[in-house]
Amino acid sequence: MTDIDVRDLTKEYGARRAVDELTFRVRPGRVTGFLGPNGAGKSTTMRLLLGLDRPTSGTATIGGRAYAELHEPLRRVGALLDAGAAHGSRTARDHLRALAASNRIPVGRVDAVLEQTGLAEVARRRVKTYSLGMRQRLGIAAALLGDPEVIVLDEPSNGLDPEGIIWIRTLLKDLAAEGRTVLVSSHLMNETASFADHLVILGRGRLLADTPVQEFIRARVQPEVRVRSIDPDALGDLLVRHGHDATRHEDGAWSVRNAPAEELGRLLAEEGVPVLELAAREGTLEQAYLDLTATEAEFTAQPQEA
Amino acid sequence: MSFTPALRAELIKIRTLRSLVGSLAAILLTTVAFSALFSASSDKNEPDQLFRTFFGINFGEIAAIAFGATAVAGEFQGGALRLTLAAMPDRLRWFAAKATAVALPALAVGLLTGVVTAVVGKAAFGDLGPSWGQALRGALGCGLQLTLMALFAAGLAAVLRSGVATLSILIPFLLIVSFVVGDLSGSVADFLPDRAGQIALHSTWDGSLGPWTGLAVSALWAAAALVAGAWTLQRRDA
Repeated sequence: MTDIDVRDLTKEYGARRAVDELTFRVRPGRVTGFLGPNGAGKSTTMRLLLGLDRPTSGTATIGGRAYAELHEPLRRVGALLDAGAAHGSRTARDHLRALAASNRIPVGRVDAVLEQTGLAEVARRRVKTYSLGMRQRLGIAAALLGDPEVIVLDEPSNGLDPEGIIWIRTLLKDLAAEGRTVLVSSHLMNETASFADHLVILGRGRLLADTPVQEFIRARVQPEVRVRSIDPDALGDLLVRHGHDATRHEDGAWSVRNAPAEELGRLLAEEGVPVLELAAREGTLEQAYLDLTATEAEFTAQPQEA
Repeated sequence: MSFTPALRAELIKIRTLRSLVGSLAAILLTTVAFSALFSASSDKNEPDQLFRTFFGINFGEIAAIAFGATAVAGEFQGGALRLTLAAMPDRLRWFAAKATAVALPALAVGLLTGVVTAVVGKAAFGDLGPSWGQALRGALGCGLQLTLMALFAAGLAAVLRSGVATLSILIPFLLIVSFVVGDLSGSVADFLPDRAGQIALHSTWDGSLGPWTGLAVSALWAAAALVAGAWTLQRRDA
């Protein structure tokens, strides 16, 4: 059981608050997506967590201890912060070998993570010959090196090709299924929705939400059912007659809110309306996020001075 | 985190960069080559035969500075330091390991350089050359001085967080200030980091510093730079 525990964390750069009284907890066994626009304070929070930057106030602990107090930290926590961290003139294998030596991790792990991240073939090439996607994989390999129970990745899918994005999605889910604590930052909604079980959302350094993904979407976006028939007008009349809240699309299909697909299907069958399409549409994370930021903007908008 | 694994990691980093291995080789080659050239072309009746023998150290020092600065500067590129400190969060211990990893190969190569240079010099000058006792002091002084210059540059690179900045301060300093001012022996110039340590490479000296006190002054410069580097590292966000 290793939680990441952030409490009242604040970091100021001069007069600007990059992280503002942030409190949240990341639990093991699930992937926690760390969301927010660029500049919301995600990377700063991660650096504070790893003891790289000093907080102005508050604490960030891993398993109840500050990162700097961990003995051989790579065996407890694996992190990817910058894809450019490996020296361009060193080979990937040598880069990982030095890291492994610093935490007395056996060299066998170096070859294992190179294999796991698909870099085994190019491990003896110098890093400057790598594409951004390959550097990203090397950063992930470094994070996995010590077989850690806590994994913190900052924008891991940056620069990955479509195949790589599918790979990282599976990897993150597998790591969580093994009972590890996984925190992954991103500013991409659909991508985060594809792997995260839980969300921590930041906006201007403050916590906007700390909630399971499904709950977050359900609370903010009403599900819709899309129906299409051969006669759009007749379908519209029928929906209105039964008191449904429906809107017509350009292609003649209707979107019905607040009605389960089961109920609509039965109704259309009873009325003998030929159905061409009937699909339940769950809300997306993107819609829910936009709803959240719209509400936030209302509360935080400053009156403009003339 | 303990010291030995950190030192092993830092030694691997040095071994696996061609530019660092290259600058170590350059310490040996430039010192020996320029010393041999100078010995061969100089007047065999010069009084200070020991410094004639070790004249090439002026060039070897540049290679030593490049080595020390490059070894540390690599950490300040592309967020490398963050990864390093994530693996070794005790910054002072890490920096001590880094400095040791710079010092060990520099000392080994420096001593080898000293011995080869001394032997070449003895061969070039024959009976007119420095005595074996002087040559031994020169070889040891040469090894120590090259190491101290590498450490001085390593400390400065940690303060400036850049290899380019470090080299663009130290190399003009070595080439211009020291060569010009350095001829005024017996003055403050004797206390400059590169001049002080080189007193050990002279047959005679007349300033307030001798061979060992001179090396001690160079060591103080190196220590000051390292302490300043450690302080910067400890104080700043990575």
